[in-house]
Order: sequence, then structure tokens, then C-alpha cells
Amino acid sequence: MPQLTNDQIGYIIKDLHHRGLVLESLQEEIIDHVSSSVEERMQNGARFIEAYSEVLKSFGDSSGLVEIQKQTLLNENQKPGIMLKNYLTIAWRTLAKQRFYTIINVAGLATGVAACMVILLFVLHELNYDKHHDKASRIYRINGEIKFGANHYQLAVAPAPLADALLQDFPEIESAVRFRGRGSSLVKRSETADNIKENNIIWTDSTFFKIFSVQVLEGNPANALKDPNSIAISRKIALKLFPEGNALGQTLILDNETANKVTAVFEDMPESGHFFYDILVSLSGLDEAKSTNFLSNNFNTYLLLKEGADPKTLESKFPGFIVKYVGPQAAQILGGEFTMEKFKEAGNKLEYTLMPLGDIHLHSDRTAELRANGDITYVYLFAAIALFILAIACINFMNLSTARSSNRAKEVGVRKVMGSLRSHLVRQFLTESVVLSFISFLLSIALAYFFIPIFNELAQKNLSLPLEEPGFYAMILAATVVVGLLAGLYPSFFLSAFKPVNVLKGHVSLGMKSGIIRSALVVFQFVISIFLIVGTITVYRQLNYIQNKKVGFEKDQVIVIQDAYALGENLRGFKDEVKKNSFILNGTISGFLPVNSWRNDNTHWPDGGQPTQENMVGLQAWRVDHDYVETMGMKIKVGRFFSPDFPSDSSAVVLNESAIDQFGFTENPLGRKIATFTGNNPDGSPDMNSIRAYTVVGVVEDFHFESLKQNITPLGLYLNQSDGSVVFRFEAKHTQDVIENIEKTWKAMAPGQPFQYSFLDEDFSRMYDNEQRLGKTFGVFAGLAIVIACLGLFALTAFTAEQRTKEIGIRKVLGASVSSIVLLLSREFGKLIIIAFLLASPLAWLAVNWWLKNYTFKVEVGLLVYLIAGGFAFLVAWLTMGYQSIRAATSNPVQSLRSE
Amino acid sequence: MHSPELLKGTLQTIILKVLKDNGKMYGYEITQLVNELSAGRILVTEGALYPTLHRLEADGHLKTEVVTIGRRIRKYYSLTPAGKSLAKERVNDFVDFIRTMSVVLQVKMSS
Repeated sequence: MPQLTNDQIGYIIKDLHHRGLVLESLQEEIIDHVSSSVEERMQNGARFIEAYSEVLKSFGDSSGLVEIQKQTLLNENQKPGIMLKNYLTIAWRTLAKQRFYTIINVAGLATGVAACMVILLFVLHELNYDKHHDKASRIYRINGEIKFGANHYQLAVAPAPLADALLQDFPEIESAVRFRGRGSSLVKRSETADNIKENNIIWTDSTFFKIFSVQVLEGNPANALKDPNSIAISRKIALKLFPEGNALGQTLILDNETANKVTAVFEDMPESGHFFYDILVSLSGLDEAKSTNFLSNNFNTYLLLKEGADPKTLESKFPGFIVKYVGPQAAQILGGEFTMEKFKEAGNKLEYTLMPLGDIHLHSDRTAELRANGDITYVYLFAAIALFILAIACINFMNLSTARSSNRAKEVGVRKVMGSLRSHLVRQFLTESVVLSFISFLLSIALAYFFIPIFNELAQKNLSLPLEEPGFYAMILAATVVVGLLAGLYPSFFLSAFKPVNVLKGHVSLGMKSGIIRSALVVFQFVISIFLIVGTITVYRQLNYIQNKKVGFEKDQVIVIQDAYALGENLRGFKDEVKKNSFILNGTISGFLPVNSWRNDNTHWPDGGQPTQENMVGLQAWRVDHDYVETMGMKIKVGRFFSPDFPSDSSAVVLNESAIDQFGFTENPLGRKIATFTGNNPDGSPDMNSIRAYTVVGVVEDFHFESLKQNITPLGLYLNQSDGSVVFRFEAKHTQDVIENIEKTWKAMAPGQPFQYSFLDEDFSRMYDNEQRLGKTFGVFAGLAIVIACLGLFALTAFTAEQRTKEIGIRKVLGASVSSIVLLLSREFGKLIIIAFLLASPLAWLAVNWWLKNYTFKVEVGLLVYLIAGGFAFLVAWLTMGYQSIRAATSNPVQSLRSE
Repeated sequence: MHSPELLKGTLQTIILKVLKDNGKMYGYEITQLVNELSAGRILVTEGALYPTLHRLEADGHLKTEVVTIGRRIRKYYSLTPAGKSLAKERVNDFVDFIRTMSVVLQVKMSS
């Protein structure tokens, strides 16, 4: 068979190419095919050129060749996935080419998404409190509301006998459990061991393990807490106290007094419960628990309803129940003619209601909660902030995409002319945004990983990314697509709507002036930013106001030694010993401190009459010693404070101004007498024979002893023993010496007892922990929001400057100054920020007033705060713009004008 | 010579079967072989052959191997495992089809 020469093959290659055969993969084959065919014909005697033209004819000449090529292409590309690959390739190339904008977009979106993710974790965590109890849907807590004269209590506690009485009267209740908190306790293994202080301790009924899903590791849950002096401990405590691992059956001594037998070890309770305890002590050992008194509320009471029982129906039977049980006892104290009707007519209230277990954490802020609860308002607030930040990040994306549209307008035009359908373009742009959002989400997971410890620190939480849960990734993936589509939707429809004729003629001029929507979006971003700044400043100012407000006592340089009762007999001696130190200015023994805690109001009335509904005053009775007022730095307004010179002071009282008002003693308060019950009957009701009168010897100026959210209520100081703590005032600058000295004395006088101290001013600010956390978190997220918004603005200005390079060049050539050009570029955005400020101010004003409504004593938020917020937003925005503007304005006009 | 109309649906079957019987082949070889087997009565046109080959390759039924001969590059096609089972299936289908046709058209095959 004759072989074709290289020249002949070269000819064929060139000719075929010339005829339009360009598809590489096909070209080679056809050349081989043609060559083989030609060779065969030449073998039969034909000349090369004749053979070639015959072969060509069999292909159908040029048109036939092109047809083959077209068919091959079509066949090859009918595979699904090829188009997607094409979209991805183009998307990748565009993003890589526009690196600056891509980075800004990704950075903004990733930060936004990471912040969002962290907040979402927090919100989910908050919403899932107490969901781990299997019977959660059937568990209800008894809430009490008592309104009596000037007192109004919202209680999380109920009377001791209530649970049993309810169980007796209402068959729909399956079981009930009570808790009685008594503060912290000192715990030790044996007489000789050192005490440890345990805060998470509570007294409870044996039904606890039946109602709540707390797993018992050792011991029998059914009768673990049945016997008096039995105790259940968590795994953590078991490990700490009995490292050798035989906790069950051992003895623990509480507060140096009672010996308790360990009857169960339970799994550590989850952090996400509205109660969290390490030690449960049997209630059956407490006399208090057997009380039949319906008038004192001290027990957190929970009911487990039977399957299908309706809480509303049960609740509706409570008023009758109250008349039956509480009525007689109230009548006994308040005089014979008392009835519940009269009580209510006088505007009083006594009500018990049911609260579902799942609602407690977020919807309950009552007196005597088992633990500081969350607040649904904050959950909403944070969810809103998360949405805002995400919105800002998405807006950046949209703005940058549409702004860049003029650069891509030509691409759109060419694609359309080539036969692209609008749907193809939409898909192309959506792919781009999804790719971008995918990268951002990947990055955001990494960012969130670093954010979470910071957030935990801020919010005092223990959150972590659920990295091992597949559901998390599914959610992230879903969110990626949703955010990608959401952010890409507007740009893709906007871009794909271009008319090719206009675009290719260059009629689409999309500088800054186009796009009302874009301006609106920028305004929206800054409205949110300014809003958040105002919020942050307000929270901080209120906090500052609280911390610096004259509270009526000197809270600085005061050290509080806690659990002073551990000193036993040595209490007085300890105080005197410590006072010998020259840096100690004064000292007092009292468990009553002017920071908030759960304290009772006692009924008092002006002496000389019977207690009636009209003349009774709820008064906090604080037991103090002679040095109290001086050590705390309170001021006596009228009369005097207790003094050892007056032995009769044991039946004297010093009232605060509010109490004087309530009693109606405004004129001549001194020498007046008030009366109160000093003892209870064995059933817990006040003993009518125990009434005692006290003489008013002085009036102390009102001081704040609760959070500034509340008003100052009536208060009386009595000279009496109270061994909760010892308080010392010391000289500034010697803090360390003072602590060391006191600790040494403590160790000597209370060997083996834990030494615990705090500073009064710290205790005081702890009352505002929530506000401080709110302020900090608000600040961080407001900052983030602004950073993201400014990122967008930065890119947008860069883009404008780029768009207007030529204009700027011409202006400069014609003599425009740098400053006039900077002004020109900044003006557009400046206007937007002013509009944003005008819109944000009223919104922020409403929100700030709403928040401050909770406070009786609040700071004035003047116009200045708004101006600062607006000014700050403007400044930050201007700085970002300024950089770009100045860069554009100072560039050499020759450069920009020559590059045509 | 058979009319192209009749051959239209059979090209894939022919290519697959030919490749199954002969291992690897290049385009021109296939046309020549078919020509030979059918005694010149079936003409595989280039216009139909190459699009079909590329389609089968894109679908994963064929794999290719390139050999350079001087300035020419020859592309050999062979069946992938998926292609092999497809070939079998197509041939069976076609035999079935012929049987049905013979019944429908009331003609006896001299087989």
C-alpha cells in the first residue's frame, strides 16, 4: 500500500482546517481517516489530488465536514454535568480575576456568617433548656403571686404543705417534688477532714429522681432520698470527695453539724437546666418541710401531671383550693372577719399558677429562682442582631455584584448575542454566588471556631461547635445554598436583564448614580450600624451611671469574709483580732449586706393596735451590730445609731426613710414604736403571743440594697446576732496586706474551714452582670456590623473611583484640586449616611426607652449620644472612603488618560 | 445497497458488535470492515460514524488509545466493561427485533 508523504499529509491537514474542521479531538481522527482512504484509492491507481477530492466528496465536502463536527460536539455535550462544570469554571475564573472584590466579599460574608453561627448556637442552647427530661412536657412548676398592701411578690416558691395538699385533692397529679435552697454549705468527709464549700446544694424530696431525668449511677433512685439525713451526690463530687470510688454508704458532714449517708451517686446534671446541683439532701430530715403553714413560701414546688391531664383545668381549680387551705390560716392572723373576698376587694392578690418546665429558663424571673435564668428578650435580641449582621453581609455581596455589573455588561451582551438564554445567565451568576458563599462558609466555620471561646467568655456560656454531628454540616450546606441564592438573586436578575444592543453600544453606564436600590441597601446597612452603636453607648452609660450613683453607702475598700458562722464561738474574737491591724478602719458582723439576695419581708405595724390590712408594713428586718452603719458608711439622718452605751438598744430599731414614710412617722419619728411577731407556732404560723414592740431611735438615709431596677423598700435595722459574714473597711493601697492578715487570723481561729472573701464593690457590680454582658456583647456585634458594612463601603468606593478614573483625570487636567475631588467622591456616600442617621435615630430612641423602662433609676440619654453614634459611623465610613478617594485624587492624570 | 433509512437505528449496534469481535479498531478500519462484512451493502458514512463514536465515548462505553504514525495520529477505540454489556444487549435486542419483524411482515427467514 502506498504511503502518503509528509507533504501530502501536511496538505490534508491545512486543507481540512481551512474547510472549518477545528475540533481538536475530531480533527486528528478525520485526518487519519482521509489519509487511509486516499492511500487505498491511490493503490487502485488514482493520483493523490484526485483521490483526495473523491474522499472529500464522500464526506460531503466542507459542509459535510462541519456538520460532522457539529453533530460530534452536540453528542459529546449532551451529558449532564458538563454545563455545570462550565458554570463552575467560568465562576472560578471571574472570581480569580476580580481578586480584590472577591476577597472583600468572602471576608465580609465569612465574618457575618461566623457571627451568625455563634449567635445561632447561643439561641439554640437557650431554647433547649430542660429538654433533656423525658417527662418535661408533663412537669409544671407552681408560681405564686402575692399582693398585699404595698408588697408585691412574684414567687418561684410555694408553701411547704402545698404539694401534699394538691396531691390529695387532685387525682390528675401523678407526683410532686419540692426544693428548699438554703444557700451554700460546708461539706467534709469526717470530723477531722477540711471543709469544702459547696454552692450547688439543695434539699429535695425523694420523688426527685422519679420526676426529673437525672441518671443514677449507684444506689437505688426509688428510695435514695427517703430517709432523713440521706444524701445524693454527683459523679464530680463523688470523685472529688471519694477518689477511691466507694462513695455509696459513706458519711458526709454538712456545716459541721449533721452527718448524712450517701445513698446515691448521679450523673452530673447538664449545664442546660434551670437548676444545677451537685448535692441533693433529703428534705424529710427538715422540720420546715413538715410545716403546715400555708403563709410562708419557701419551697420550689414541681408537679408531674398524669398523661393527658390539662394544666389549664387544674389551674382553674386553684382559687377554690386556696380558699379551703390558705383562708383559715390567714383569718387566724388577720382577725376573725377575714375572708378571701374581702382580701381581694381590698386590691390584694393571692394566686398560684402552673408554669411549664420548658418555659422556666427563658420566661421566668421571679423571687427565689433555683438559678439565674435567661431572658427571652435577649434571645430575640441576639437573633435579631444575627439576622442584621447576615443581612449586612449579604447586602455587601449584592451591592458589589451589581456595581461591578458595568464591567460584566459586555460579557452579558456577547453571551446573549451568541445565543445564551436569560436562564443560562441567571444560572451562571447564581453559580458564582453559590461558589462564593461556599468558600465563605468554609472560612466561617474556622472563624466561628475562634470566635466561640471569646463569646463564651462574654456570655458566660459553654458553647461549642457541634463538629461531630452530621446534621450540622447538612445545615451549613443548606445555609450555603440559601445564602448563595439569596445574595445572588438580585444581581443575577439585574445583570441578565441587560439588552445586548444597549450594552454592546456602551449605553449602560452604571456608576454610582444608578441604582436606587444600591443606595437604599447602603442606607439600610448604616441604619443598623448606627442603631447598634446607640444601643451599645446607652447600655454602657446606664452601667456607668449605676456604678457611680450615690447608693447611700461607701462600697469601696470593704472586704466581706463569708461563711463567718464557721468561726463558731470565735466570731467576736476574730473581729476584734482583725481590727487590731492598723490598716483596718472598722469591722462589723452581719449577714445582711446591701447587695441583692433573697430576703424575707416581715410584717410590722405601729405598736398599740392590732395588725390589720391597712396598717401593716412589709419590712426587711436586718440583724446588725453596733458598728454596722459606720463600717458601711451609711448616714444617720435623725437620731442616733445603736451604741453600747444604751443597754435598752436591744429593743430599739433604726428605720430607713422609706419605712418612716410607710409607717406615717414623718413628723417626730424618734420614740415611736413598731410591733412584730418574733416567733412562730409549731405549725409555722406566727405566734400571737410573741408580739414584741421596738422603739425607733434613729433614721438612716435611704440606701440601695437591691438592683437599681427596684425602688428602695422599707427596712429596719435591729441589734441582733447574725453570723453570715464579717465585714471590714480598710485603707486603700493595702489590699494585699489586709487579705493576708485576715487569712492568717482566720486560719488560726477557724482551722480547717475554707477562707472565702469578696469585695463589696465587686458584689455590687455582680448585680449587674447581665447588663455588663449585654453591653459587651452588644459592643462586639455592633463593631462587627460596622466592620462588615465598611468593608462593603470600601469596595464600593474603590469601584466608583475605578469607574471614574477618566473623569477624575480630566478634572485634574482642567485644574481640580485634590480636596475637591475627594469631596466629589465622598459626597454621594455622605448623603446616604446622613439619611441613615435620620432613619436610625427614632428607631434607636424607641428601643433605648423600651430597655430603660426596666430601671427605676436611669440615665438620661441625650441628643449627644445620637450625635456621637452618627458621627462615629460617618467618621469610619469617611475614613474607608477617604483612603480610596485620596488615592484616586492623587493619581497622575496622565496615567489614566493615556490608557485608552 | 441498503437504504440509509433502514440503517439509521442500527449504527450503534454495528459499531459495538464490531468492536466486541475485533478488540481495538480505528474509524477508517471500522468502515472498511463493515463494508467487507456486508459485501458492500452497508456503507457506514463518516458523517454518522464519528458523532456516534464520540457519543459512545462520552457515555463511557468506549475508551480510546492514541498512536502516532509519523505526522498522523491514529485513535483506536475499544469497549469498556460497560460497553461490552451494552453490545450484548443491543445485539440481543436486534435479533428480537428481526424475529418480530418477520412475524409482522409474514416472511420466512432462511436461517
